[in-house]
Amino acid sequence: MDQTETKPKILYIDDAPSSRRLVERLLTAHYAFFEATDGLSGIDQAVAIRPDLILVDLNLPQFTGYEVAARVKGLLPSVPVVALTADMAEHVREHALASGCDGYIAKPINADTFEEQIAHFLGGRRETLEDESFRSAYQQTLVARMEEKVRELTRALKSNAELNEQRDHLLQETQRRARLLEATAQVGRSVTSILDADALLKETVNILCDVYGFYYAGIFLVDASGDWAVLRAGRGEAGAEMLAEGYKLKIGGQSMVGMAIAERRALFAPDVAEEPLHFKHPLLPLTRSEIVLPLLLGTGAQARVIGAVTVQSKEEATFTGEDMTTLQTMADQIAIAIDNARLLKDLEATHAELVRTKTFEAIATATGEAIHWVGNKAAPIPGSIARVREDLVKFLLMAGALLQEAPPELREHKFAQMLLAVEEMLEQDAGLEVTRLREELAQQPLRRLQRTLNLASVFEDLNIVEQSARSILNIKEDLIGPARQKHLEPVRLPELLQETVRSMAVPKEAVRFLLVEDVAPVLADPEQLAHVFINLIKNAMEAMHQVEDKKLFIWVRSADDPRFVVTDVTDNGSGIPPEIIDKIWVTFYTTKGDRGGTGLGLSACVKIINQLGGKITVESVVGEGTTFSVYLPVMKG
Amino acid sequence: MKEEVKVLLVDDEKLVLRSIEKSLLRAGFDVEAVNDVTAALALFEAAMASDAPFDIAVLDLNMPNFAGYVDPTAGLQLLSKLLEVQPGFPVVVLTAFDEVERAKDAVRRGARAYFVKGREADLIALVERILAD
Repeated sequence: MDQTETKPKILYIDDAPSSRRLVERLLTAHYAFFEATDGLSGIDQAVAIRPDLILVDLNLPQFTGYEVAARVKGLLPSVPVVALTADMAEHVREHALASGCDGYIAKPINADTFEEQIAHFLGGRRETLEDESFRSAYQQTLVARMEEKVRELTRALKSNAELNEQRDHLLQETQRRARLLEATAQVGRSVTSILDADALLKETVNILCDVYGFYYAGIFLVDASGDWAVLRAGRGEAGAEMLAEGYKLKIGGQSMVGMAIAERRALFAPDVAEEPLHFKHPLLPLTRSEIVLPLLLGTGAQARVIGAVTVQSKEEATFTGEDMTTLQTMADQIAIAIDNARLLKDLEATHAELVRTKTFEAIATATGEAIHWVGNKAAPIPGSIARVREDLVKFLLMAGALLQEAPPELREHKFAQMLLAVEEMLEQDAGLEVTRLREELAQQPLRRLQRTLNLASVFEDLNIVEQSARSILNIKEDLIGPARQKHLEPVRLPELLQETVRSMAVPKEAVRFLLVEDVAPVLADPEQLAHVFINLIKNAMEAMHQVEDKKLFIWVRSADDPRFVVTDVTDNGSGIPPEIIDKIWVTFYTTKGDRGGTGLGLSACVKIINQLGGKITVESVVGEGTTFSVYLPVMKG
Repeated sequence: MKEEVKVLLVDDEKLVLRSIEKSLLRAGFDVEAVNDVTAALALFEAAMASDAPFDIAVLDLNMPNFAGYVDPTAGLQLLSKLLEVQPGFPVVVLTAFDEVERAKDAVRRGARAYFVKGREADLIALVERILAD
């Protein structure tokens, strides 16, 4: 059994550790010793352990020993409370007894008698208050103490409320600043990624209003004249309306924007009603404060101002000095981003101009090449026709000459009459040089005549004319081929290529296929696609015309990019010199020779493949061969 | 002067070659027609070393060169080689109507004249005039 259960329990309440240690040492042998360091915890402990005796120091802070005694007497009326104090003031003992103490022991403690005194109180000794006036005086003290405490409490509550308010304000301020910083960061992030100036400005005003909660934000840029700040982005309907009317402000004029730009400094109107420069725009009736920040590029004297940002709030004096700094940082970022976007625009304009020039050049080149090509193809036609005409005249002259010597009855024959009529016509046409031709016929010996004037020669000339005309007409197919109406259907390239090669009279032993049979189908017009491959295979065969051991290699497979199927057409021909490899796609580049086509072939191929969402690439090594690769998108679904 | 004038005709365009060949033949010339510069040079060298040399050459400008690639200066290259073999040899260059500048360049490099392809009767007249000089 625990000794504490049997020994009487003594609770000692004192804020002085040395006193507690001394009392503990004196009592611990015969008593269960408990201690508390202040009045309130002492009361709590007393209620919890129900001690047999309570010793209390009278001069406790906050809740005094008198008050502890009074309280304990109320809670535990039978437990004796003994004051223990070094207070030498007058009537301390009376005051103690008046407050409810049952006894009084003066400090310093007398170690010899202390235990005995305790034993007396435990044994039932109670001191009594002789003079009752001390009791009412104590009540006065208590009331005064209470009043003081209530005042203290009220003050504390008040200051607490103030603290709370202050804390809330700080919190709000922090959140606001966080949002502003967030807005700044967002503008920073956005503006660096938006290179289209208009989108950039729009995004900026939206971020300012959405994230920071401003009533209105607008961005003005200095126009080309340098005289006006033109609104380039504005928030909401008000902004849209002002943009539509081309809202602009004179730089240096009577406006905050105009002034901020002219003076290159931020302007702040905490209460717009008192700001003469603020213009109360009818579209923005709720504006109470406004801040205008110049958009500056660079720093110091070299800084260039390109415009200004206006930020408006529905509340007065919304902006702090830190806000101004943050907003100016944001304005600086915007300025840089706008400048970047402008530079890009300039670059794009320059590029577009370059593309236009190049396109004109390409068209001029292609047109020139086309004229050249047609001219070449047409060149033999006049010569051949001249010869045919001359030959016809000569044959007729020969017939006519014979007829002159024919018997009169033969001249009555209907054919003879026709020939004579023709002869007459010939004589009348000076352009035919009948006299010269007649002389030639008369003078040239038979063998010479036979050699140049014969039906085979006439037919050959007609053939030259026909072939020339046909090759000119054939361009038509290449020109309109890509534009022809398409019948798109799923096409299996391995089959299409085998079929195409079969139709082309390419020597069988020269062709090698490597076909991935389960390659995905493509969506194309099979006729057009065949036209493309015919062109490529023709080119390959032409490139190999001087090669003994021709090797045409056709490889169909999935491209590295799985969205495409690629077909390689490889030859071991002459190869394409690097200096002309870029020109092979140009219409009419190849204009000559029996083997060179119109050059329309490849440009038509490119057009057809591009229309299908694919591309053609070429790789070539002179003397080793060429590979054309046709990429076609895999059919979806 | 020998009986027949011998002409070397070089053009890679088959129909042009044949048409001009026919016109020259009808005008009474002896014509050797070839469609590439390598063969033309070989023919020329052989003929100049023989007892039947060429009297004049008619060359296209834009055709496959000695390496086999279509080259607008192929005719100029052949011209230089012909003049190396036989300085002062009369050469007429053929040109398309839109390549006259290059033909004029050929004349500066020693060709006797240029002829814009088309009216072949005029080419005959031109060749006859050069030979008469």
